[in-house]
Amino acid sequence: MTTATAPRFVRADGPDKVTGSGRYTADLTLTGMLTAKFKYAEVSHARILRLDVSAARALPGVFAVLTADDVPDVRFGGFVQDRTLFARDVVRFEGEILAAVAAVDAATAQRALNAIEVEYEALPVLNDVEAALAPDATLVHPAWEGYGGVPVLVRDRNDAAYTKLEKGDVDAGMAEADTVVHSRYVADGCHAAPIEPRAVVAQWEGNKVTIWSSTQVPFDARAGVCETLELPANRVRIIVPHLGGGFGGKCGFHFEAHVAALARAAKRPVRLVFTRREEFIAPDKRREGIVYELETGVKADGTITARRAWLAIDNGAYTTDAGFFSQLATMHALGPYRIPNLVAEAHLVYTNHQPSGSVRAPTAPQSCWALESHTDEVARAIGMDPVDFRRKNAVDTGVEGPSGQVYGEIGVQQCIEAAAAGAGYGQELPDDEAIGLAIGWWPSFSVPSGAYVKVDGDGTGQIITGAQECGTGSVMTLRQLAADEMGMKPEDFELVYQDTSVAPYDMGATGSQTLFNNGRAVVAAAGQVAEQLKALAADHLEASPGDIVLADGQASVAGTPSKSVAIAELAAIAAGGELLIGHGSGTPPGPPPIAGSSCVGDLGMTAWVAPQFSCHAVRVKLDRDTGVARVLHVSAAHDSGTIINPLAAQGQVEGAVLMGIGQALTEGTRYDDSGNQRNAGLLEYKLQTCADAPPIDIHFVEINTPDAGPRGAKGLAEAPNVATAAAIANALATLAGRPVRQLPMTAERVWETLQAAATEQEDGQ
Amino acid sequence: MSFTIATSLDSALAALAGGARPIAGGTDLVVGARHGKAPLPQDLVAIDRIAELRHITETPAGISIGSLTTHHDIETHPLLTSLYAGLADASALVGSPATRNVGTVGGNVMNASPAMDTGAPLCVLGAEVELRSVRGTRRFPLKDLWAGPGRTHAEADELCVAIHLPRPADRSGSAYLRLEYRRAMEIAVVGAAAAVNLAEDGTVTDLAIAITAVAPTILSGRATGLVGVSVDAAAEQAAAFAAAQATPISDVRASEAYRRHTVSVMARRALLAAARRAAGEHVPTPLNRTTGIGAAS
Repeated sequence: MTTATAPRFVRADGPDKVTGSGRYTADLTLTGMLTAKFKYAEVSHARILRLDVSAARALPGVFAVLTADDVPDVRFGGFVQDRTLFARDVVRFEGEILAAVAAVDAATAQRALNAIEVEYEALPVLNDVEAALAPDATLVHPAWEGYGGVPVLVRDRNDAAYTKLEKGDVDAGMAEADTVVHSRYVADGCHAAPIEPRAVVAQWEGNKVTIWSSTQVPFDARAGVCETLELPANRVRIIVPHLGGGFGGKCGFHFEAHVAALARAAKRPVRLVFTRREEFIAPDKRREGIVYELETGVKADGTITARRAWLAIDNGAYTTDAGFFSQLATMHALGPYRIPNLVAEAHLVYTNHQPSGSVRAPTAPQSCWALESHTDEVARAIGMDPVDFRRKNAVDTGVEGPSGQVYGEIGVQQCIEAAAAGAGYGQELPDDEAIGLAIGWWPSFSVPSGAYVKVDGDGTGQIITGAQECGTGSVMTLRQLAADEMGMKPEDFELVYQDTSVAPYDMGATGSQTLFNNGRAVVAAAGQVAEQLKALAADHLEASPGDIVLADGQASVAGTPSKSVAIAELAAIAAGGELLIGHGSGTPPGPPPIAGSSCVGDLGMTAWVAPQFSCHAVRVKLDRDTGVARVLHVSAAHDSGTIINPLAAQGQVEGAVLMGIGQALTEGTRYDDSGNQRNAGLLEYKLQTCADAPPIDIHFVEINTPDAGPRGAKGLAEAPNVATAAAIANALATLAGRPVRQLPMTAERVWETLQAAATEQEDGQ
Repeated sequence: MSFTIATSLDSALAALAGGARPIAGGTDLVVGARHGKAPLPQDLVAIDRIAELRHITETPAGISIGSLTTHHDIETHPLLTSLYAGLADASALVGSPATRNVGTVGGNVMNASPAMDTGAPLCVLGAEVELRSVRGTRRFPLKDLWAGPGRTHAEADELCVAIHLPRPADRSGSAYLRLEYRRAMEIAVVGAAAAVNLAEDGTVTDLAIAITAVAPTILSGRATGLVGVSVDAAAEQAAAFAAAQATPISDVRASEAYRRHTVSVMARRALLAAARRAAGEHVPTPLNRTTGIGAAS
């Protein structure tokens, strides 16, 4: 393993989590607290003929039963305003909430749910994304034209976001090719599956509400509460106790408003804690299923001349934060390749499935899987080694990518070399083993973010940040940045985070953006305090502030180390006068220019600030009699810029690789004919376990990419989850003699692929 | 609703006679109730503290395993991991370490799940089950215990107190293998156990096969007094038995066709592993971990 150069340190929240002293949302108990439960639709598409909660309300011990009639009539959604807190007139997926109950205990709340009467008229279920695109398909939202939405979105009937990226002349490019390869791939949806099921506690005091929530995005959650309950931001306070994993599933606004509304109606604090089944069916978040049609023209020497891509993305019943998925998936279906001529189209299609939303690197692992499987098919079609094919066609520093962006210094080629070497690509292997390789990319999201830094009279510091720690360790890394800026130790700082009424805005633990943007904010805030310290030291040491150096807890005069004063002493002086307080957000870098392409439905995703690159090479063993595949070794190379926290970085890659193996082989949502999930539980939805983890070698390619975050750092939370499934697919395709065209590539699907290959071979003889 | 803690077998049997249902590790009963499979019985008698039901005892005829013996007890017992390796193969796969520390072999067989891991190896090892009630004791072949998924032929007041295994002949071996999609927290997609006796020339004289998760109950078959049957031929017999006897369902774990195919693969491999053990080769338990995920090399 390549060790990053930075020192290794243990995250600040680690001891609390492993000893059990840390408190999670479900651990909270408030005096008089009630239990919340939701009544779900349980059917995928139906008109509500009658919804009667009167018997539930009459039960002893039931304090509140709410339906759509009891909350403001607000339609919300960041991209398309197609969502309401409670179902109105029609239910569009099984996990839609009809009613919410607050009762003295769980058993009473359950009795209240059982007493709710509902009558439906069944409506046709849209269970297939391509069928839902048909011109005569039933509309999931017949009133879609009246919904508000982001103006640039191209919407049409069941298509919530159409995008089309064009460059060059694709017909001419195809005509120029010696070989054209067409592939179809289908990726099933899957889940974030955080081990902590979500929990929300709400308590009102007067006209203000405090909500403790297991959210990755407290400010987004606050915005949702404010919008749906029609409250100003300063009367809603979101606090996030320790978060037990999110993986994107806890991004967005979910159930905070339901619980707040229950608490207001019941005049008591209310707590909601999900069961595992609810965690699977109810959130507006799961990884989207996508159908891919890919076509690439290639010359005999391996030069790509043109590509066509067509994608149909399963939006589910509501759009939530998936509005940008069409464009993002398009970029991933094109990939980090030199493609002179292309047309790529994507549709975000309403169905009667659970809504899709940002799960760790949304659209990327499955699109990388489809594209990189296709890439190996293309290489095979012209008899070229797939790694050589990527060496030839992948982008590089100074090279133009598919959208017309010319990249500054990037490390994708170095990633290919490092991953291939780490896997021993090209080595002699047993007949039932193969190495597959895939490359991926991921944008850095440049957005506003804020933090305060203060140093108290005893010389200890606090970082008060709007950033949210979801388990990646990014917030923990902020201590290192502040300490370095001020010549102090990370341990000198405590973190105050995850409270919207205390800290400035941050987008949350989403888009791998915490270190990139909040790191910038903390550096700026700490820099202000550093300037204050230098001014104090200059006074104290009778030197110019410009000559003061802050290091090792001391302020000293440059070149004269003997002339120094402890920072703690300066802090004591400051405590009697001008306090040591800094604030910062810095200036987010703007988007890089692109040239030569045009885009319909452009949400600004064609140009990526400080893109991250990766290459995974995976050795797989296949049991051909059963189709069971086992990952023996993973070699993961990443250009995520400078690695500031090596231990956390290693953890991110290892966790993401394991998640990628699950997405490749054992996860994936199964729907029945009615559009209901068949495997909404951890026995049948098979996450990988520690016992399944292969050895993972990690190689960090530390490249000084322009416009990166603090010290040249880019993100790393999502990037390692992009290429694993694709690399496994390419190993399996080698072993099976053809690609497995559906994700996850379950043992049974691999076996069917082997059967089909054998049958074809027999027919051919 | 009542919950009684029995400290002796007699008090447990008295409680059962009064209509209570037994609970030991609770890994099926409690988990099932939480998932809405079946509500907890009105009256429960906890039997987990009855020391006399937790033992592994060598007898002149073979070995007796008390019904409260945990999967962990089995997977770590020197005699069970050698002479009765097929059973240790199975117990070592159940759930997680936590499950194996509280889950019992008696609970596993009495729960009567067609996907239970211990049932198939116990059948091929010739297990008898001993049931006791205030009315007396019955002992009969384990394979005759099961009536269907979740149903046994035990009376409501009968408690499984022990499982008895005959001592295997010289040059015999057993093995259990299951198809699984991951290596922990898993349940058999299909499984198969095999036991063989070998003649001095290495041919198979007796074989037994049992198959898991492909019928309403564990199914088993046996052939004795074979002459001149090679191990490979016996393995084909095992595979053919599995394919012929399996009546699998399609569900979210696997289709009927895939189960039918893979159960014969598991049967063939289980027999081959059993024969290797019979020939004196050390094939560590659990076989699944020795040979990869649900797959022999």
